[in-house]
Amino acid sequence: MSETSKQAVERATAFEKTVLPNGLTVLVHPMPGFTGVYALYGTKFGSIDRSFVLDGKRWDLPAGVAHFLEHKMFENEEGDAFTLYAKTGANANAYTSFDKTCYLFSASSRTEENLDILLSFVSRPYFTEKTIAKEQGIIGQEIKMYDDSPDWRLMFSVYQCLYGQHPVREDIAGSVESIAEITPEMLYACADAFYRPQNMALAVAGNVTMQQVLDAVERAAIPEKTGVVERIPVCEPRQVAEKERSFSMPVSKPLLGVGFKEALPEPENQLKTEFLCDILTELICGSMTPLYRKLYDENLVSPGFSGEILSVPGALCTVFGGETSRPEYVRELLLQEIRRLRSEGVDAELFTLCKNQLYGELIADLENIDDVAAGLFSAFSRGRTPAEEIDTLAAITLEDVNSALQNLLQEEYSATVIIRPAGEKKGELAS
Amino acid sequence: MERKQIADGVYLTALPAGQFHRCRVSINFIWPADRQWATAEALMPLLMERCCADCPDMTLLSKKLARLYGASLSVDGVVNSGSRVLTVAVGGIKDEFALNGEKLSEEYAALALGTAFRPYFVDGVFDPEAVAIEKEQLRELIASEMNEKRAYCVRQARRKFFGDAPAGVERYGYAQEVDGLTPETVTRAFFRMLRSARIEVMALGADACAVEQSVLKALEGIERAPADLPAAFAQPAQAEQSFEEPMDTAQGKLCLLFTAGQPQRPEKLSAARVAVALLGGTATSRLFVNVREKHSLCYYCAASYASMAGLLCIDSGVEHQNAKAAKQAILEELDALKEGPITAKELADTKRSLKNQLGAVGDTLQGMENWYFGEIMRGSLFTPQQVMEQVDAVTEEDVRNVLRMFTLSVSYTLTKGENAHV
Repeated sequence: MSETSKQAVERATAFEKTVLPNGLTVLVHPMPGFTGVYALYGTKFGSIDRSFVLDGKRWDLPAGVAHFLEHKMFENEEGDAFTLYAKTGANANAYTSFDKTCYLFSASSRTEENLDILLSFVSRPYFTEKTIAKEQGIIGQEIKMYDDSPDWRLMFSVYQCLYGQHPVREDIAGSVESIAEITPEMLYACADAFYRPQNMALAVAGNVTMQQVLDAVERAAIPEKTGVVERIPVCEPRQVAEKERSFSMPVSKPLLGVGFKEALPEPENQLKTEFLCDILTELICGSMTPLYRKLYDENLVSPGFSGEILSVPGALCTVFGGETSRPEYVRELLLQEIRRLRSEGVDAELFTLCKNQLYGELIADLENIDDVAAGLFSAFSRGRTPAEEIDTLAAITLEDVNSALQNLLQEEYSATVIIRPAGEKKGELAS
Repeated sequence: MERKQIADGVYLTALPAGQFHRCRVSINFIWPADRQWATAEALMPLLMERCCADCPDMTLLSKKLARLYGASLSVDGVVNSGSRVLTVAVGGIKDEFALNGEKLSEEYAALALGTAFRPYFVDGVFDPEAVAIEKEQLRELIASEMNEKRAYCVRQARRKFFGDAPAGVERYGYAQEVDGLTPETVTRAFFRMLRSARIEVMALGADACAVEQSVLKALEGIERAPADLPAAFAQPAQAEQSFEEPMDTAQGKLCLLFTAGQPQRPEKLSAARVAVALLGGTATSRLFVNVREKHSLCYYCAASYASMAGLLCIDSGVEHQNAKAAKQAILEELDALKEGPITAKELADTKRSLKNQLGAVGDTLQGMENWYFGEIMRGSLFTPQQVMEQVDAVTEEDVRNVLRMFTLSVSYTLTKGENAHV
């Protein structure tokens, strides 16, 4: 690495961190030259957090509670957060993933007021039977919208085949049936357990200073919460739950998903293992590979066919997928290529190019205020900083990849899902 | 922003981008859309994106991009209000991040120009093998539009709305014409584009002088006769046409298209921006607050506006059984804004939201490029700051006057209904 690039990376990855007496982590990246501010206030509570003990009482949640809570935290007795933000003009939103819930705004002015709004409504839960019933209707429609998305259905079908117990197998929003079980008491318990400053971070990037953010946190006077919260881990067997699944829906062409369930790495190897999985997906069917060229030239797949990884507490898997006119044949080609690379070793030039590409992607992710704030929250929730990610990537060797491939992407721990166009005759999976 | 003409029908716009880690060069060819050439012109981007004369193999090109630290190369074609636009764009991390001191930005510009002006030809035409492969991809691209139901419903409605008008020329061409494409026809389409297109080059954070010289060099020997671009044109008002298409979906889709009967003049656009945002562009808009939140008739309900076509689009995700009620509620909200009161608070809220969006334009490369390219296409060249001032000056009466121009032309529904008809 040249001295110039080293300094550039140091500037790009720099941020300030403060942990307040109430336990809240504050992360700020002032970015000169930017007009706007992007703030993200989040908690380590997502759709996979389904069982916990709060002050001695066990709670087992139906699917979709974290997402439901996200919707409901947007309103209190005085109205919803959108109405509050309308007074400042900020663009506000929220999202729930497998392992976190985040509330955010982006604004090009009135930073202090926007921070005050963000911190106030997320800190004051308010639910009634009536407001919950209304939200069940809205979220029910959201679930139906996703039910029509072939990519979404493919992804969750693969997770359901790979995982028999882990909640990653269930839609983040839950189902119409599961959210019908949600009660005000359940939501208050979740807010009490997970929306506590010790479990949360405020990440802000852009035209802002740490002092502005700390002043806002002080104004919000977020109290420390007492009591004990214990997450109950899931016992997930190594074997997959279901080897094959096939169904139909209105699509123009079949979709194929091939997932590989991986053994969980030791915590100190987590980041490196994720990079190894990422690099392997590129080395197997990325646009530089002979397999991709064959698939493309023979019109076996659409351009989006690719691999990606999922890594959340208790689950790590790699999923290859996309549109293909011959799903069984493409699956076989994919497995053949993995076997070939395992026996022959990966191409040294391709490996270097993949690392180059990933480095560029990491730098690009440090460019926009929204990506930077999200990266800071990730630094909190996953316990890693952008600088550590770049260092870990740089340290990976060709030998690491070849060695990892002896254990990763094993057929024995794989599952296959095929979505066929509605009305098409069901085919057989190739053995 | 600096903009100048560097040759007949060729313009360079330079946008400073010192705060970003990446830089980007894009070359936009703009020429009148023509139904007769649509499918050949749709195939061109696919062929241009896979390789060029300087790098005549798609795998080698992928490796070159990876060597440039994952630089992006895209060739994209759209139809924009009667004009065909083909954009070649290359972007990547700035030189200071190169691990070994490489001059990356020079390579980005060279790659963009090579892709735009020097395709890989075999015996004077696009590589026949590549043409055969990309024809299949194009065919599937056309067929796959049904996978995304929301976008599909809007596209179907637009087809009914535009009919045979130039603005309705299909971005991806026509499935029945793909078979007939040959290397010769696509090559003719390419040279027709080189000859007749206006060329808009945008350099974001790249050395504009170097880009200018490279463009002029690339143009040497090319016979140019830039065609006039079609004037903005709006569909005339007509009696509403209603369509239902059966599809086995969990959620129904509803799209309503309205015409203003005339294109929006750029200086009047801010009033339309406020009106459409107030109607259905924010989380406090009438459609969101009333149709979604109050009446629970849909999951989403949003309004958008294509100023050059005078087209207002409202699309919604609805329970199948609620589609008719949702349509009625949407029309009532529009009528209420046309004739009823607009509070000072909701007008002020809407303006603040719009100004917030305008203030953020300069915070992303994509935002800056999209903004100034849109302004260039409209021929206005307002800065976001100027538009903020215009937004501030919009009155309730301006909002009403804009919305009163719109009449419903097409409603299109994806439904489970047995009596659906297209």
